[in-house]
Amino acid sequence: MIVTDEALMRAVREGDLSRLEILFDRYHLMLFGFLSRMTGNRHVAEDLVQEVFLRILKYRATYCDDACFKTWVYRIARNARADYFASREKGMPLSREALQIPDRGSAPEEQVELAGESALLRCALMQLRADRRELIILARYQEMKHEAIAELLGIDSGTVKVRIHRALKELREAFLRLIENPTCNAKTSQRRLLII
Amino acid sequence: MQCQDISAKVVDHLAGALGGPERHEFEAHLASCPVCRAEVESLSQTWDRLADIPAIRPDSAAMRARLNALLTDTTREASRIDASAQIQSGKATEGPRIALPGSRESISSWLQRHISPRFLLQGCAAVLLLVIGIQLGWQIRPPGSREVRELSQQVRDLRQMVTLSLMQQQSASERLEGVSWSNQLDRPGSEVVAALIDTLMHDANVNVRLASIDALKRFAERDVVRSAAVRALDTQSSPLVQMALIDFVVETQDRGALDTLKRLSHDNTVNASVRTRAAWGVDHLEAV
Repeated sequence: MIVTDEALMRAVREGDLSRLEILFDRYHLMLFGFLSRMTGNRHVAEDLVQEVFLRILKYRATYCDDACFKTWVYRIARNARADYFASREKGMPLSREALQIPDRGSAPEEQVELAGESALLRCALMQLRADRRELIILARYQEMKHEAIAELLGIDSGTVKVRIHRALKELREAFLRLIENPTCNAKTSQRRLLII
Repeated sequence: MQCQDISAKVVDHLAGALGGPERHEFEAHLASCPVCRAEVESLSQTWDRLADIPAIRPDSAAMRARLNALLTDTTREASRIDASAQIQSGKATEGPRIALPGSRESISSWLQRHISPRFLLQGCAAVLLLVIGIQLGWQIRPPGSREVRELSQQVRDLRQMVTLSLMQQQSASERLEGVSWSNQLDRPGSEVVAALIDTLMHDANVNVRLASIDALKRFAERDVVRSAAVRALDTQSSPLVQMALIDFVVETQDRGALDTLKRLSHDNTVNASVRTRAAWGVDHLEAV
């Protein structure tokens, strides 16, 4: 018999922390997919997934019996991502020397010559404002129904559809501009990430 | 279906969520309207192309290892505290003795020790009902301001007494309720702040200690609270409590915590996530 996510989380809340491992197995890829597409950075996404499970542990006492676990964990993930970027000054990434983290990624100022329309489309997606990018990611990659997205964002499903439509049009325009000038300025993308 | 209806339906169309009759109307309109057809085809192409963007792959094994380390630290801390709490409760072998308050003991502390918090809660509710009744009566006779102040003070004192009593109960859920009550006190006295600090430093339950950190935020400007947070950073071993304390000192911009944060960020016996958060905390406080 498959134990539901909600039953597992109730067990964690009551003190059986080992159940969190099962929830991790079920959700870490889904969360990583969402956070990596939102941030465009594998290592940041991994750190944020860790932060999500840390917050699940920290706030386990607040989990309500009638809450849908998937919606709850997505809320935690959205908040963790927002807090991460809000804690950093605009245009000034955290000093890697201070964090003692070895340099694992490319410098944000790097100009990247891209080949292939997929890479250009990814760049266009990263150029969208975070709330618009999030809608496309939730609907297209996380396969969330419009009603579930509406519940997560606290708006009605009609508004969700209107906003997805607008975001998609904006994505298309950004993509077509990149088709004409196929150079993705990673600094522009990074600056947008840091501002949002 | 008209052109203005198409834009409302295109997202459902892309998600394959249009029902039978609606889908027929949608497709019929596209067949007859080249402008809408071109727009929908263009958006569909973009939508379909999104599937071609390769996914970034995580290092699942490393992520799993970090989670295991966090769970191990948290479980070990919880077990140590449970064992300690059992030893302490084993020492209480005497039955309850109720002694009348002596000359050196205040009535309020005597009440906290011997009257159950539930009874105190009921008493508080009774006083509140009395206040409401008196206020209704004052609509006939204007109240004296001194009477209002005295009654309000008595209600505040009673609420504070209930808070302090709850925070000393054996049940963790009651202590948690006590910490929660402290957030609702209008002008909490120094006794409440001292009790919250004591809870942070010594409570057996991680959730109660975490709640006390949140409750202490409203008193963050007091030196006694800031120094307690730094002391707790030095002594707490639960990763969850350590992370919450790091967030606390960063939010309150307490540069007095810098040395402790630097030590934590280099200490290999400390949980890796806590080390990273401590380094982040150093970075932020040095920038202040």
